[in-house]
Amino acid sequence: MSTTDRNASFESALLEAATAVKVHDAGAALRRSSLWRDGLRRFTNNRAAVIAAVAFLVMVGFVVLGPIVDNSNPYYINYAIAYQPPTWAHPFGTDEFGRDLFVRTALGGRLSIEIGIGATFAIMVIGILYGSISGFVGGWLDNVQMRFLDTLYGLPYLPFAIIALAIFGTVNFWTMVVALSIASWFTTARVMRGQIISLKENDYVRAARAVGARWYRVLFRHLLPNTLGMIIVFVFLELPGVVLGEAFLSFIGLGINPPQASWGSLAEDGYTAYATHPYIIIVPSICIAWLILSAFFIADGLRDALDPRTRETREG
Amino acid sequence: MALLEVNDLRTHFFTREGVVRAVDGVSFSVEIGKTLGIVGESGSGKSVTALSVMGLIPQPPARIVSGSVVFDGRDLTKLSNRQLEDVRGRQIAMIFQDPMTSLNPTLTIGMQIVETLRRHLRLSKQQAHKRAVELLEEVHIPDAARRLSDYPHRYSGGMRQRVMVAIALSCNPRLLIADEPTTALDVTVQAGILDLLYELREEHQMAMILITHDMGVVAEAADDVAVMYAGQLVERGTSDEIFTRPEHPYTEALLGALPHVESASVREERLTAIPGRPPDLIDPPEACRFAPRCPYAGLGSCSTVPPELREIRDGHWVRSAHPASERAGAAQEAGVT
Repeated sequence: MSTTDRNASFESALLEAATAVKVHDAGAALRRSSLWRDGLRRFTNNRAAVIAAVAFLVMVGFVVLGPIVDNSNPYYINYAIAYQPPTWAHPFGTDEFGRDLFVRTALGGRLSIEIGIGATFAIMVIGILYGSISGFVGGWLDNVQMRFLDTLYGLPYLPFAIIALAIFGTVNFWTMVVALSIASWFTTARVMRGQIISLKENDYVRAARAVGARWYRVLFRHLLPNTLGMIIVFVFLELPGVVLGEAFLSFIGLGINPPQASWGSLAEDGYTAYATHPYIIIVPSICIAWLILSAFFIADGLRDALDPRTRETREG
Repeated sequence: MALLEVNDLRTHFFTREGVVRAVDGVSFSVEIGKTLGIVGESGSGKSVTALSVMGLIPQPPARIVSGSVVFDGRDLTKLSNRQLEDVRGRQIAMIFQDPMTSLNPTLTIGMQIVETLRRHLRLSKQQAHKRAVELLEEVHIPDAARRLSDYPHRYSGGMRQRVMVAIALSCNPRLLIADEPTTALDVTVQAGILDLLYELREEHQMAMILITHDMGVVAEAADDVAVMYAGQLVERGTSDEIFTRPEHPYTEALLGALPHVESASVREERLTAIPGRPPDLIDPPEACRFAPRCPYAGLGSCSTVPPELREIRDGHWVRSAHPASERAGAAQEAGVT
């Protein structure tokens, strides 16, 4: 008994000494979230990811603040100033109707990013539900769900989106979100299923069941929170895909209708005059590339930050 | 009446290669307040036996094909999953081998203890929290109130196993199953955990099943010992009996392979290994499963007729055609010493 005490107090004394140095003034709130703090530290050590995160925030700042700073009317037609190259009054120039492209790019970006976030959210919700049910229940249900997914998997997502939009007949935020998410949740579901299946084998899941935890507790308390890292990474992997999808649909004229603008439809406007007025297509194209690249680099950095094991194998 | 009575339990795994008879006709009982040690080498079915009692075997591929697990008058194999969930943690608790992976890394220690408490007992959050602090103090974790809000990665292996013990004991179970609780720990820490288990067993007046392959641990801790080999019990008896007068050749060999144990019946030679390997449980030897490795096989009928578990002395059961006490005469005739 005395040895027990001594062992335990020795262990804790060691721990105490190790932690006291670092955490002494950090306070209780930080101590609690050290799992995420470690991840944040690894993320900030990754230069490409930090630059990407700043770039991403700059873009978000631009689409949010742009229309507030510049109060020109994005729909005001004035042929007198059509096709003006960038000036101080119109930093991104004007289009064939003399509309200010700075405000239109920012507003178009709002719509593009909103649709992107909406569709990503839908993809995550469907994918997580489908995948976690499949992985958690297992057995024949898993089999049926996965074979169904295999069938859908071969179908390309853009034709799916086009058909969906054709069926809806109208194009607005909601129909775009549905069209873009309807055929892009398969990968998320599969990865989710894999995660749940591998987590299910963990000792702490068995330990939870050994103290009588019911299935919903096991799923929502022990399994899903442990997939959070993967979910966050997937958000940043899916986002560029749907933003690009939206841009593509709008570019070929199936997406956002004029006079509303998205980056895709702005690029399409510029496409008709790219030889004489290249800035009209260059600006939205750069915006799309900017957002997609920064999101990908963020996803990459997050994956390394939240799953240190993959990082170790990469570095050596 | 015994607290737990396991009768002819058979748990088989139905795999593509065939039916693995991991547990094949195991019977034992645990009395209130007593400790039963189950020993055997890896793959002998110790853990599957424990998981079968808890109803935690992975289904599929495993299934309890026959037998009963009567706990406190109720056959656990006949209970629904929901009813079993109410028994687990409340009446029967379990500690696993590896404390490093048995705690959820995303929840604080406190949350994981409180979760169990509130699952089975009607406690408010404050009461559960208070009880959690008491439990941590009970397993000798210093500064318990503060350590409650730490995540598992701030605990060492030994401390995590203490936490597992605290969680297991949180609802005052009547039976604690410890599945190799010290295997993954350093020797010094092992002693601490075992001390803690004895101490708490006394305090809580629990029965305990201690599963291990460490004969030393069993000798120290168990009142009764059951030796498993290839999914079957080969010998069962009180700790004294098994260690001073082992009957089964396998038990003898196990004790012979143990360093530092010197008693009359153990051959006082060097450390000996048991030749051969445990049998394939898909297609085990037809008669005695130990026959291929047994130095006395062929002396009796044991390679054609499977030996039954029989009571050779009061409370001492053995499954062998030639237990030590019957062998003395026969062996000399055959020229085996």
